[in-house]
Order: sequence, then structure tokens, then C-alpha cells
Amino acid sequence: MTELNAWRPERLLDVRAVFGIDSDLQVPAFTERDEHVPEIDEVYRFDRDTTLAILAGFMRNRRVMVQGLHGTGKSTHVEQVAARLNWPCVRINLDGHISRLDLVGKDAVVLREGQQVTEFQEGIVPWALQRPVALVFDEYDAGRPDVMFVIQRLLERDGRFTLLDQNRVLAPHPFFRLFATANTVGLGNLNGLYHGAQKLNHAQIDRWNIVATLNYLPAAEEMAIVAARVPALAGEGSRALLRSMVALAELTRNGFATGDLSTLMSPRTVITWAENIEIFRDPAVAFRLSFLNKCDEDERALVAEYFQRAFDRDIDEAYRLSE
Amino acid sequence: MSEAQQLARRQQRVEELCAGAIRALSGETDLHFRGRRLHRGRQRLPLFAPHLHPAIESDDFGSFRGAADGLALRLTLSDVTLHARHCPQDPVQRLVFELLEQMRVESLVPEGLHGVVHNLRHRFQQWSLAFHRSRLTDSARGILLYTVAQVCRARVTGEPVLDETEDLMEATRAALAPALGSDLAGLRRQRHDQAAYAPHALAIARLVGEMLRSADAEEGASGEATDAEDSERAAFSLVMELDARVEEGIAAAVSGHSRVFAAAQEQYRVYTRAYDREVAATALARTEVLHEHRLQLDRLVAAAGLNGMRLARELKAILARPVHDGWDGAMEEGRIDGRRLAQLIASPTERRLFRSEHVAAEADCVLAFLIDCSGSMKQHIEPVAVLVDLFARALEQAGVASEVLGFSTGAWNGGRARRDWQRAGQPPLPGRLNEVCHMVFKDADTRWRRARLGMAALLKADLFREGIDGEAVEWAVARLQARPEARKLLVVVSDGCPMDGATNLANDAYYLDNHLRQVLQRHERLAQVEICALGVGLDLSPFYSRCQALDLGTAPRPAVLRDILQLLTRPARR
Repeated sequence: MTELNAWRPERLLDVRAVFGIDSDLQVPAFTERDEHVPEIDEVYRFDRDTTLAILAGFMRNRRVMVQGLHGTGKSTHVEQVAARLNWPCVRINLDGHISRLDLVGKDAVVLREGQQVTEFQEGIVPWALQRPVALVFDEYDAGRPDVMFVIQRLLERDGRFTLLDQNRVLAPHPFFRLFATANTVGLGNLNGLYHGAQKLNHAQIDRWNIVATLNYLPAAEEMAIVAARVPALAGEGSRALLRSMVALAELTRNGFATGDLSTLMSPRTVITWAENIEIFRDPAVAFRLSFLNKCDEDERALVAEYFQRAFDRDIDEAYRLSE
Repeated sequence: MSEAQQLARRQQRVEELCAGAIRALSGETDLHFRGRRLHRGRQRLPLFAPHLHPAIESDDFGSFRGAADGLALRLTLSDVTLHARHCPQDPVQRLVFELLEQMRVESLVPEGLHGVVHNLRHRFQQWSLAFHRSRLTDSARGILLYTVAQVCRARVTGEPVLDETEDLMEATRAALAPALGSDLAGLRRQRHDQAAYAPHALAIARLVGEMLRSADAEEGASGEATDAEDSERAAFSLVMELDARVEEGIAAAVSGHSRVFAAAQEQYRVYTRAYDREVAATALARTEVLHEHRLQLDRLVAAAGLNGMRLARELKAILARPVHDGWDGAMEEGRIDGRRLAQLIASPTERRLFRSEHVAAEADCVLAFLIDCSGSMKQHIEPVAVLVDLFARALEQAGVASEVLGFSTGAWNGGRARRDWQRAGQPPLPGRLNEVCHMVFKDADTRWRRARLGMAALLKADLFREGIDGEAVEWAVARLQARPEARKLLVVVSDGCPMDGATNLANDAYYLDNHLRQVLQRHERLAQVEICALGVGLDLSPFYSRCQALDLGTAPRPAVLRDILQLLTRPARR
């Protein structure tokens, strides 16, 4: 245990140099990479506000929740920040079936010296609590609200954790950090996109110190991300193509916001589309395979209109007057 | 007629797609077309520029796309208050100023939208060619306006002028060049800044206005400019003559403003209700006749060959909601069933100890068809009767209560109500002047099987007289409100606006129209009953916010059923 306690960040990193963000902040970082430190993605692009919020979580021990529509890279964002700080990071995907026992720990039968013994096995929460680990609850709003009360006390900065089964009280490691990502802000599935999202208890939402919103990025940012992900489209010659792709994605997002479409193109869809263009060599074919076929049949003619606006080409689904 | 119905369908489809594109480009939620004009909510938007209003009969789909894109850019990139402050009073100057502002926004297409650039160019070219080919460029006024439009657009957007008319404009262009030169350069330079652009645009508008006046003087035709005063459309009449002519033939319900109705503070009056009646359809004809009609209707339904079972399934999917309906026992997971615990003791391997909630789809819903039985509907009644019969049966299978109602009048030309009015010395503004006849072909408590004869009465030709829609809608809504079901839908089937000769003569032409509109607005606001409309070969959007133009032809096809189902699912756009 003392060994764990001695494990702490030893150096300070310059935010401007590491994350490419205009800020004079210095963040603590570990020197050595542990097995739980995520791989660094060299081309990852950091959104300024979200990065600062996550960094505040690491520096000042704040509880940070990142909220945003799907495919905007919320979880990856936390992970990539941790990767650059050499901070061990563990992601847990919550779902409706995760119970208190999974999180806290349970009695299990183990073999010891040939004998069957009942022994308490720690869950993920007590394990992480005693280590300098960033614990990320993915899809926080998919967890059952009654179960999520397990972490209620942890959300306070010096909140200790009582293991009722063992009559033990755990004090968190000084460099334990807690993050969460969610599609909704705990008000349930309002727009019909996120089936399975729960309504969360607002006494708990209130305990999160920082709620960062990561929605869709400015067009130039998004183009840069796609270009970084798909090197084949990174050249100056593909700029016009990328611009049109992002413009089309924006039209679908507007269409979703106005209620015309029931689905939208996330940055992840745009990246998939770009990758599919590499395979199929034709933006229209790749578009059909990456997005159009996910749309409701009644909406396809409208999506074809959007496509025509961006690419000045009609796809098969487009309406024709002679019909 | 079927061609007109197809045209109305096509118009509606094109407008839906264009409105969708406009909403996506501008990011505004409540934009939609009503009666061929773009509306924001209930508010009608200005015409903006003459080339933004293509006609379904003569223009291609590309033109509609271009016009939609032009409208979207105008709504996003132009500041309305700033524009209104600068806008000149004189109609011709105003026209030029509007046109120049439209060109400014059309030159500012956001990066990446190549199709929009192409659509805008295409639409402007089509409009120019139509203008040219209708020989409007033959007059001095025409060629002047045409040249100004072409030259300005070429300068502002940096695109070349149309080849076909370049030579034609040459002389006028040369004459304009010295006077317009500096302002034209200003237009291009300042196109990103509306406030700085306006003075240049105004200067050009003023100049064109003066030149037109002198051109008028030369031609000796001064009457034309002065009569363009009251309506906003008049400001565009010069350039929109072409469209105005076409507008006569369109399949949109035409409506106007009723002075009489407004003067009475929108209080609808009825001269006498003494002769109004509400009748069950079976009382309208002898049983033998009804049997004959029923046979005919059955033959028509069979000939139409529509899939009633499938319709029932789809209606159920649309209208039914899941409700808790008892428990399913002996499940492998769920909640522990206390009654089965003894079984666990007796046979520990038995796993089926649980029960779970049983969910069933149930439609707590009533749907009423209200059929316009005015004279013109007679020619469409066969397909309408087939549809209604099919729906009544399918709704019953889907567990939805349904009513089939109709409205007509008891007589032509006012009947006894008008005679009473004449005897009383024709007091002014009597209000509705006819015998209203409301018919119940099938009420919600009668099963389809028992209402078969009643429904057959739809085919009785002498029912069809005149139509007083507003009162009929109120009557149908009141019937629905008295029903216990949670969700209430009213589907009005009509092929025209309210029509009653005697009432229109004694009041004014749009008296009944305005009443219908008032009734619909009130009920749409209350939102207790969802009202939608099926226009038989007609766009009813001037009245109803949820409507669908149908192409019935001689017999309904499966596509028609799909249209109606879509109408029922579509949310109201206000």
C-alpha cells in the first residue's frame, strides 16, 4: 500500500506544447507509463474548452462529466488526455445490468491450499480508489440511477468509501480521479436518439463539479480531424471534397434539429465515410453505404437533396419531376 | 382531372423537399410552404425577388431547388430590419432594390455547397430565359430591367451573363455602363456588408426608376406604373406578369379576405337554423336502393384490390400505444412469483419461477372522416367511398373507433332559408343562408358490419349540393369531443373551399372561407382534436396546417394509402 501511495506525478507538462492549446497552464504528469496508460493517438485533435475542463479535473481533483451527442469523441478525449499525462486510465461501460456488487465487490468462492474458501473480492471502485487511476464511467446515463448512488460519496473530493461487507473505510489515493461521459444531461431520452438513457438523480448530477459539453465542432476543426484520420484525403487536392462532406454533415445536423430527419451524421460517420471513399473511390457510393442506408426510407429523398446541395450531383434516391 | 391531381401531388412533394432543404440550410424550424408561399409559422414571408417563385407547370425541379436555396440564403444572410430601413417606397425602385439584395446573398454561398451555387445559377438562367422568351424584353421597360438584372448579377456574383441574350443587351448595357459603373464596382466590393452595400444598391435602384419613368414617357404608357400601389405583389407585377397568368390554373385552394366577416368582429352569423338537419344516412334512401349501392361499392372495393389486413396492421402500429395488460407467468426471469416458491422447494431445478409484465398494444383513439358532399365531389365520390369503406374496416380491425360523416346542404341556392330572408325584406348581411345538412354514414358505436348500408349512401348522387365547411368541422369536432377516447383525429376529405351561392351573394365571396379558417385556427390552438385534411387533387394548405393532396384517379392505389398513413403520423407544422 505504501508503494502505491508513493506513486505520484513527478513532473509538470506545458499544456501549450503537449495539447496545442493556447494556455499557460502546467499540468502534473507521471514519468513512467503503466500498463493502464492508454496508447497515444498522435493525430488526435483536442477541443480547447473540453480539454481545459478535463485538465482541471486532473490538476485540481475535480469531478468532470463530459456530455455531448454521439460520435463526438467524449471518451476518447478523456483517454487521450490521460495518455499524454501517462496517467493510468480505466474505462467502465455502464449498462442497465451493472449492479452494486459489480462495482463494490462481492464474496466469491476461491481455492486456497486445496480448500474452498469464501473470500471478499474487491470490485472496480475500491480497486481504483486506492491507486492513482483515472476512472471513467462511460455512458453514465445508461447506469441505473439507484445503483449509481454507490459513487455518491466519491463524488465529494475527500469522500471516503465505506465497504460495508468488510467494515473497512477506504480513503482515496490523492491522485485518484473520476470522470464520466454521457449523451444526455440526465433528463432521459428527450430527442428519441438515445434509447436506454436513464433519468438521473439530480442530487447526484449536482455533485459533478464540472460538466463540459462536447458537441459538434466548427467546420474547419472537423475537416482537420477527418484529414488527420484519413491520410488519403489530407492533401490540398481533397480540401474541396472534405469541405463538401463537412457541409453535408452540417445540413443533416440542421435537418435533425428542425425535426426533418430522425438521425444525423456524427463526426464518426464523416470519418467512416471518408474511409469508405478510400475503399470505393466514389463519394456517392461511400455516402450511401456509410449514412444513407441508416436513414428511414421516407427521409432518403430529403437526404438526397442535401447531397445535391453539397456535391451538385443527384444520387438515385433523389426526387425527379417526371415520376 | 387526374392530371390536375398528379400536378397537385407533385407540387406538394416538391414543396416538402424544398422546405426541408430550406430548413436545413437556414437552421430555422418552422419554415414551410402554404399555398405556394413560404411561411414562418403562421406568418407569410415576403416574395423577396421575382425569380424565387417557379411554377410547377413550366419549371424544372432544378429551378425549385434554386429558388429554395435563394430563399434560405435570404433568410440567413440578410438582416430584415436593416433591409426595411433602406427599402424605397416607389414600387419599381423597390423591385430593383429587392433584386439586388437577393443577388448579394446569392453571391455569399457558404463554402462547400457546390450544388447550391449551381442551383442558384440554374434558376436565374431559367427565369431570365422565360422572361426573354415571353417577349417581355421587347419593350423598352423590359429590356432595361432585364439588362440591369443581368449586369448586376454578373458583377455581384462574378459569373458570366447569359450567352443567348448577350447581344440583345449590348446597346442598353453600353448606355447604362457610365451611369452605373462606380456603383456596380461598389456592389461587388461591399457584398459582405449589407449596410455598406445598401447605398450602392439604392443608387442603382433610383437611377433605374428615373430611366423607367423617361422610358414610360417615351412610350406614352404612364398608366402602368401608377396602378401598382396597394398589394405587395403589385410591386413585382412588372416582372411577375408571367407567373400571375399561370397562377390562375394552379391546384391550390384560393382564398381571400372577407370584409363582411372582419367587419362583424369575426362573429359568424347564421340567418336561421330552423331548417338545419342532422340525418342518419340510412334515412336518406330506400333500403332497396341502399342495397344496390352497397353491391356497387363492394364491387368497387374488390376491384381496387387494396390490402385491408396490411392497412389494419399499419394503422395499429401508428395509433396504438403499449399498455400494461396483466402478467405473463412461468418465466425464466423477471419478478419472483410468490405462488411458485413452493415449487422451488419441491423441485429445486425448476427455474421458471418468475413473472413479467405483459404489454399489449391498444389504441385508445377515435378517428372520424368528414366528407365534403358538395356538387363537385360527386365525380370523386367512388374512389373516396372505397377509401373510407376500407379505412373503416381496417380501423375496426386495429381496435380504433371510427366515424364517417358528411356535410352538404338541404337545397340549392339557399332553399327555404333564403326564401325566409327574402320575405323578411332582405336585411343586409344575413350570414349563412342555406339549410345545412349533416349526415352520419357511420357513427363510432356502430360496427362496420352494421354500418354497411349507411356507408353505401355515399354513392347516392342527389346528396351532393353545396358545402359549408366551417360549421361542418365544428359539428364533427363537437361529436369527437363527446367521445371518451384519449386521442381524437378528424380527417376532412374535400376538393375545394366552402361554397354556397346564396351565402356568398348575400355577404361576400370569402365569408365562408374566413369562417372555416377561424374554426380551424381555434381548434388547432386548442389541440384537443387533431385535424388533418385530404385534398382531392387540391392543395388545402391555405386552410389546414396538416394536409395532403391526393391523386385518386378512378380508383385508389396503394400509394394513396401510404400518403394517408403518412399524414396521420406527420406532426403539425405551424
